[in-house]
Parts: sequence; structure tokens; C-alpha cells
Amino acid sequence: MVDMLTTGVSGLLAAQVGLGTVGHNVANVNTEGYSRQQVAYGAALPQGVGGYFIGTGVNTVAVQRAYSQFLNTSLWSATSSSSRADTMASLTGQINNQLSGSSNLQTSLDSFFGAVNDTANAPSDTASRQVLLARAGGLVSTFQSLSGQFNQLSSQVQQQIGDAVDSINSYSDSIAKLNGLIRSSVATGGTPPSDLLDKRDALVKNLSAQVGVTVVPQNDNTIQVFVGNGQSLVSGTQSYALATAPNIYDATRQEVVGAASGSVLSGRISGGALGALMDFRSSVLDPAQTQLGRTAQALASAFNAQHAQGVDLNGDVGGQFFSVAGPTVQAASTNNGTGNVDASISDVSKLTGADYTLSYAGGAWTMRDTNGNSVAMGGTGTAADPFTAAGLSMVVPAGAVAGDSFRIQPSRDAAASFAVVINNPDKIAAAAPLAISSGINNTGTATASASLDGGAISGGVVQFTSATTYSVDGGADQTYTPGQPINANGWNLQLSGTPQNGDSFTVTPNSNAQGDNSNALMLGKVANLGVLNGGVTSVGGAYSQLVSQVGSAGAVADDEKTTQTAVYNQAYGSQQSVSGVNLDEEAANLVRYQQAYQASAQVITTANSMFTALLSAVQG
Amino acid sequence: MRVSTSWMQQQSIGSMMDRQSDLSNINTQLSTGKRINQPSDDPVGAARALDLTHLGTDTAQYQRNITSANARLGLEDQSLSNVTNVLGRVRTLLLQAANGTQTDDTRGDIAAEMVQLRQQLLGQANSKDGQGDYIFAGNRTGTEPFASQGGGVAYVGDDGQRMVAAGPGLQVATGDPGSAVFGSIPTGNGKFAISADAGNTGSAVAGSTTVSNPNANPSAWDGGSYSIVFTAPDTYEVHDGGGVVLDSGSYDPQKGGSITFRGAQIAFNGEPEAGDSFALGASQSQSVFATLDNIINVLQTPNGGDSKMQNAINTQFSNLDQAIDNITRTRGKVGARMNALDQQAGLNDDLSLQYKSALSDVQSVNYYDAISQLGAQTTALQAAQQTFTKVQGSKLFDYLR
Repeated sequence: MVDMLTTGVSGLLAAQVGLGTVGHNVANVNTEGYSRQQVAYGAALPQGVGGYFIGTGVNTVAVQRAYSQFLNTSLWSATSSSSRADTMASLTGQINNQLSGSSNLQTSLDSFFGAVNDTANAPSDTASRQVLLARAGGLVSTFQSLSGQFNQLSSQVQQQIGDAVDSINSYSDSIAKLNGLIRSSVATGGTPPSDLLDKRDALVKNLSAQVGVTVVPQNDNTIQVFVGNGQSLVSGTQSYALATAPNIYDATRQEVVGAASGSVLSGRISGGALGALMDFRSSVLDPAQTQLGRTAQALASAFNAQHAQGVDLNGDVGGQFFSVAGPTVQAASTNNGTGNVDASISDVSKLTGADYTLSYAGGAWTMRDTNGNSVAMGGTGTAADPFTAAGLSMVVPAGAVAGDSFRIQPSRDAAASFAVVINNPDKIAAAAPLAISSGINNTGTATASASLDGGAISGGVVQFTSATTYSVDGGADQTYTPGQPINANGWNLQLSGTPQNGDSFTVTPNSNAQGDNSNALMLGKVANLGVLNGGVTSVGGAYSQLVSQVGSAGAVADDEKTTQTAVYNQAYGSQQSVSGVNLDEEAANLVRYQQAYQASAQVITTANSMFTALLSAVQG
Repeated sequence: MRVSTSWMQQQSIGSMMDRQSDLSNINTQLSTGKRINQPSDDPVGAARALDLTHLGTDTAQYQRNITSANARLGLEDQSLSNVTNVLGRVRTLLLQAANGTQTDDTRGDIAAEMVQLRQQLLGQANSKDGQGDYIFAGNRTGTEPFASQGGGVAYVGDDGQRMVAAGPGLQVATGDPGSAVFGSIPTGNGKFAISADAGNTGSAVAGSTTVSNPNANPSAWDGGSYSIVFTAPDTYEVHDGGGVVLDSGSYDPQKGGSITFRGAQIAFNGEPEAGDSFALGASQSQSVFATLDNIINVLQTPNGGDSKMQNAINTQFSNLDQAIDNITRTRGKVGARMNALDQQAGLNDDLSLQYKSALSDVQSVNYYDAISQLGAQTTALQAAQQTFTKVQGSKLFDYLR
């Protein structure tokens, strides 16, 4: 006779496992990374009785987690992308906030140039000159405040990079340990322990949120985790830490490296918070700081150039009005040679906004931009004939040896260093340096204007000895080419119109001309003067470009965040549809196993009553 | 599809968060009135808004410049108006002085008044603007431009002319240097001047002079130096600078008449003596103060009203008229400038309005749109909240009690 009791007991035990699993599932309904577990049953081996078989109950074959490797892998990759998008959106949001705040450079520029115009309206008025200096000070503090905010953001990013590297290391470490536990559990128990696998998957997901990783499952139930182009984070029970190390050119800038190998991973990291931090730093923050610096350099260069074309209240030629730093040159820490590249800006209009490296291969220097594209240079790099490229002029050190390299950032520190040099209102050069009078009997249509050529200035008379020849101060005849300036005595005389024989122009140094506003008017025009990008973009235009550049980065990041959140939700929903706990389902299962349990108990009761009946029959 | 319980909750919470964030955005837009609150809201629009704000500020600055220029030009016009009155009085007095009924004494009285008028004129030429700058000093606005020197008046300003930026690419002069207003005034009729030789003994007086056919090109008047020599009371010769006789003719000493040569026409009356001569030369420049000084000098010199005096008065009369003409022309220029400034101010106003409306198009929130969005999003948030409570409230476990 088939052992009904044993069969009943097997049912009871099976239902208990079922009930326990339901309880476990319900208990872990809110556990991050938990996969619901299912009980697999199999019928026990039947008992052969002559020509047929009688079943002997149920075996619990396995308690498995509901799991799809494919869906989990998609979830990890979606986590990585959405975490990157989140971090990027938050960082670009911060820089956008900074630009929309009170430090609006355009407003400062407008007030400054407004004050220049007011000075032009009342050039001898000390009050308006003082206001001009105050506005210049305001402009300086706006530049410095924006640059300071960018720098603060930069050190915040640096801090976050360090934090991300720390969490990555801690996750790798935990994953390696779990690898060991899982491997030994399988070796002793045979089946993989679901909860440990879940825990490891959850760690991989957290790791993906920090950095994009590649996960390769191994035959021994461990996983290998790679970052970037094959830098191993976890292999078996071994974890490999990442670290931060100073940039070879700039010791204050931290790069991500493999702790053991020391190889720089910064450019190869993608995805996750760390990827966003690296991207933000190199593609949003650095260009913004450079563009701001370029704006400062454009303003200083154009304003100073015009200021030097005027004379101040003391009759002296206008000195430097603004000061601004030139290119930042940093030698690589790996350089073996001596000396540094001496770089300066030769032409503001040709500045590109890119950073460059200049490297020496022994015999030849090459210049590359940050994308590694080679940049053609003019000149030979000596002090007499410096290398020229991208608006820069560079003198290379004689002590360089092959393999040395230098990084040149043309505008990085410019905004922070922007300052007003003039502090005495009398020193504002509002007047023209020269007074020109046309001869009273001139018959031609020419009118003259003059600019300084930088040399010592003295007066002079330009006398036309025919329509095409002239003499200066009674000297030898020289040929006049229409449109070409006449250079003499420290000035260039530019004629418009046609001179005739006998016409004369007398140039005298302007003296005592405190009411002259000629140069102040020209200074006012600097506001809308094309300075950058080959003389097309004005100072204000450069700031607009910065705003739209930063704004675009923000808008793209916001869009990306929306998209990636949707992708993540999709991946998470799919993964949850397989692995997530549904309480209604568990409630139904609870009822199911409860009923099975009660039924099996009933089988035992029945077996018992059959046995009792048999006993009482025997007792008769 | 299976849905996990915690995911369903997360999703509901997530959608409520999203709706709240949308509401917060709309709230910011409505409270600032701006559609673009940071550059990422609309990168192109944000840059455009900056440009438009800059253009608007520029235009406002142009308006300020125009206001300041108008003030300066108004002062100049006022000064010039006073100068016109003074010179008008001088002219009236000179006409009186030229009258044959005057005696040396009465001419002396007239001269005394003219000395006062000269002082008044000097005061006007040295007038200052609101900032204490001399109006007619060119660029040397800190120094009194017309200084009394050795009995005369010297101009120590320069020829600079202050300009103002009144619009993009438009500069308008806000003053005239004293040299152009009071200093360099051509003598005679503006082309040539005639003066009687000091040794003349006849009673001939040179009157009005004209350049015949003034618009001909090249002008018939060649700007040379000539002299008209009366060889007898009724005949004359024209000599060039070297004494070569160029022309000759007859003159009616009773009726007077005009002598014309090389485009110059001079009216004479009175009877010349043989040998009397009149020098003719291109106009020189002379300051209005020199003209006044000459007039005063003639009037103060006792001469009994002879032809010498008449000739001298006639010469200075032309010079005075040139000065009055010059002041009138300058006032005309000032008026034209103020007119140009007014027109530019109107244009700037239009531009300013245009920039403001463009700026508003770019960055202002559309209230109708925003308020309807606010309504829609409030509804969406409420729907999400209600859905959450409904969905979370129906659990199979609830029925298993």
C-alpha cells in the first residue's frame, strides 16, 4: 500500500516551502534589487506496483529567483545613462543658474560703455570720469565673480570626482567579496544562492550609476567588471581600485587613473555620474571659462588699443586701461628638459577658444589641439621669429629634449586676472592726441584724420606739391597713394577725399584740450566693435555666445535627462515585470499554498482515520 | 504584463513629482513674467535677449547723449543770439556814424558806446556751459578762449569741435570753435577787399563791391592783387602786382559809377584826384574783435568826416557784415544740428520701442498660454494624486481578513 502519510507529509512540506517563499517575497517587497523567488515542484518518483505506478507525493525541486540576465543588463546600462544624464542636468543647471543670476556681464558692459559715453558728453567733468572708473571696477568684479563661480563649480566637480571614485572602489570591493561567497556557496550547495546574486546585481546597478561598466559572467558564477576600455574593476575575488592623480600639466586638476597601473582613464570613462563629471568639466565648464577669458581679453585688447590712441588730461598718451592675463603655459611634469614655452597673444581676433599642446619630438615641434588634431604653425620658435598659430606667438625653450610637452591655454586665467590699471580719473585718455588743421586755401576735397603709430610725437606740416606728391615739413617729395596713410613724426595721417596741389594739413600735438572728447567717442564705439573671430564678434557678442553655449549644454542635458529617465523607466519596468514582487500575486499564492497545506493535512487526517478504522476492525 | 508593487508606487510618485516640477516651472514663469529664466530654457532666445537688451541700452544712451548735446547747442544758440543783437547794434551805430551830419565829438560818443558793446561781445565769446566749460574754446574748454592782449583780442582756444554720438554711426557736432565763429572771418565781400591808399587826396570813396557772375566755374575773379589808379579824375587804370597796366577806362566824377575788371565790380563815388589809388586783394581773415577795434579806432580819430574816413568805414562795414553773416550762418548750423538731433531722437524712440517689443516677444511669457498650462497641470497633478490613492487602496490582502 502506498504510504499515504508520507505522501501527505511531502505535500505539507512542499506547501510550507511555498508559504515560506511567499512570506520571504512579501517581506522583501520594498527591498532594492530583490528578485521574487518561486518554488519549483516535481512529482516524487512513483512506486511500481505490478503493471502500474502509484505516485508518492511531491518534491520541492528548487527555490529560484525570477530573473532575466538580458533585462538586468539593460537595466544596468539604462542606470548608467540615466545617472549620467541626471548628474549632467544638475551640473549644467548650476552653471545656467550662475549665468542667469545677478552677475550679468552684458549689463556691466552696458553700464561701463554708458559711462564712457557720459564722459564723451562731458570730457572735462571729473565726476563723470570718476563714474567711468567706478563702472570699470564693476565690470572687473563681474568678470571675477563669474570666473570665481566657474572655479568654484570646478572644485566642486573635482570633489565629486573623488567621491565617485571612492564609491566605485567600495562597490568593486563588495562585488569581489560576493563573487567569493557565491562561488563557495555554489561549490558546497550546488545551486546559486538567489539572495546573494540579487545583492551582487544590486551592487552592479549602484556601480553603473557611478560609472558605465561592462559585466562579463564567468563559468564559476563570478562576474568580471570592466570600466572604460578594459580597465578591470573586479575579476574573480580580486577588485582593482581607481584613484585620482594630478594632471601631468596641471597639478591642481585631478584625473581618474587606475590605482595600480597609474594609467589615465579620464578620457575613456563614459556613463554614470563619473562620466558626467568628466564630460561636464571638459565640454562645458572648461569652454565656458575659456570663452569668458576670451571675452575679457577681447575687451582689454580693444579698449587698451583705442585708449592708447588718445591723450589724458595731462596731455600724456593714454596708458593701459585694463590688464588681463595672457596664455597660461604649463610644462608636463614628465618633461626632462629645462625651460618653459613663452607664449603671448599676437592677435586677439584669431583666438579660437581651444587649448593646445606643444610637444617636442627632437628636432621638430608640433602643436595639437585638445582633440589631437595637428595645428600648422608659422615661424621657427625663436625669440626673433616665434611660432605663430591661432592668434598666439610662442617662443620655445632651448633646453627642451625630445618627449617634452607643454600645454597652452590661451584664455583660461584671463577673466580671473582682469583688472583696471587706471585709478586716477585724469588718466582717462578722452582727447585726441593730435589736432589737425586743413590749410585755409585748400582747394581739394580731402579731409584728414590722424592716429598714433607708437613713436615719439611731434607736429608737422604735410604740403601737397601736386595731387599725387607731398612733402612733410618741407622735406623731399614723396608719392601719395590714395587710401594709404602718410606716416611721419609719430603719426599716420589718413586722408579721405582727393587733395589738390597746394593743399596743406598741419598736425600739431593736442595740448590743453580738456574739452576734447574725440577719443572718448572712439572708446564708446569699442562696445560694438568686432574684435573676436576675425574681427566679427564684439565683446558683448562673445558673452552672448557664452550664454548660448552654456544654455545649449543645459537644454541638451535637460532633454537627455527626460529621454534617459524614460529609457530607465522602461528598462526598470521590464525588469520588475519579471523580478518584482506583486503583493496581489503573493496574496493569491498565499491562499494557494494555504489551501494545499490544508488539503495535505486533510490527507494525513484521512490516512489516520483509515488506520484507526483498520485497527478498530482488527480489535473487533 | 506583471507589474511589481513597489515599481507601481515609484511610478505614481515619480509622475506626481514630474507634475509638481512642471507646476513649479509655470509658477516661476508666471511670477517673473519671463519665459526664459535661465539660458537653458531657450539658449538661442537667451542670447537674442542679451543682444536686444544691449541694443535697447545703447539706444537709451544715445538719447542721453542727445539730451546733453541739445543742452549745449541751446546754450550756444542763446549766446549767438546775444551776439547777433550786439552786432546789430554796432551796425546801427556805424550807419549813424557814417552819416554826414555827425561831428568828431558825436562820433567819439558813438565810439564810447561801441567800446561797451565790444566788452559785451567779448563776454559772449567767453561764455560757459553748465559744466563750466567755455563754449567757444574748441577743445581747450578750461581756458578763457578770447584773451585781451596788447589792446587787441587773441584767440587761445583751438579748432576742435566736440561731437556727440547720437545714433549708430551718427555723430553730430555740439559746438563750434571760437576761431570759426568769431575769429577767421573773411574781409571785404568774402572774395576780395578794397582799401583806399593812405595818400589819396581826392574825395572818391569805394562803395559796395561784388563779384560778377559768382556761380561761374572757374570764377572770373582770380584772387590776385591789383590796384586801381586814377590817372585823372575821369580816367583810371588797373595795375597788377607788378605795376603792369591790365585795363583802363573812364570814370564820371560827378555821378560816380562802377569799375569792373576780372569779375570784380566796385562802385565809386566822389571825385578822385590824379594819382589816387585803391588796392584790391583777396579777402584775408580777420576776427570780429579786430573789425570792432578798427571801427572804434576810425570813429575815435578826429577827421571831420573826410573821404578817408568814409573809405575806412566802408571797408569795415563790409567786414562787419561778413561777421554778422558768419554768426547767422553758424546759428543756422546750430539749428540744423538740433533738428538732426530731434529727428534722431524720434528715430531712437521708435527703435527703442521696437527693441522692447522684440525683447518681449523673445523672453516674455504668454500669460494666456501659461495660465491655461497652469490649469492643465494642476488638473494633471490632482489626477495623479487621486490615482495613487485609488490604486494603493485596492489590495487583495485587504480581502483576506
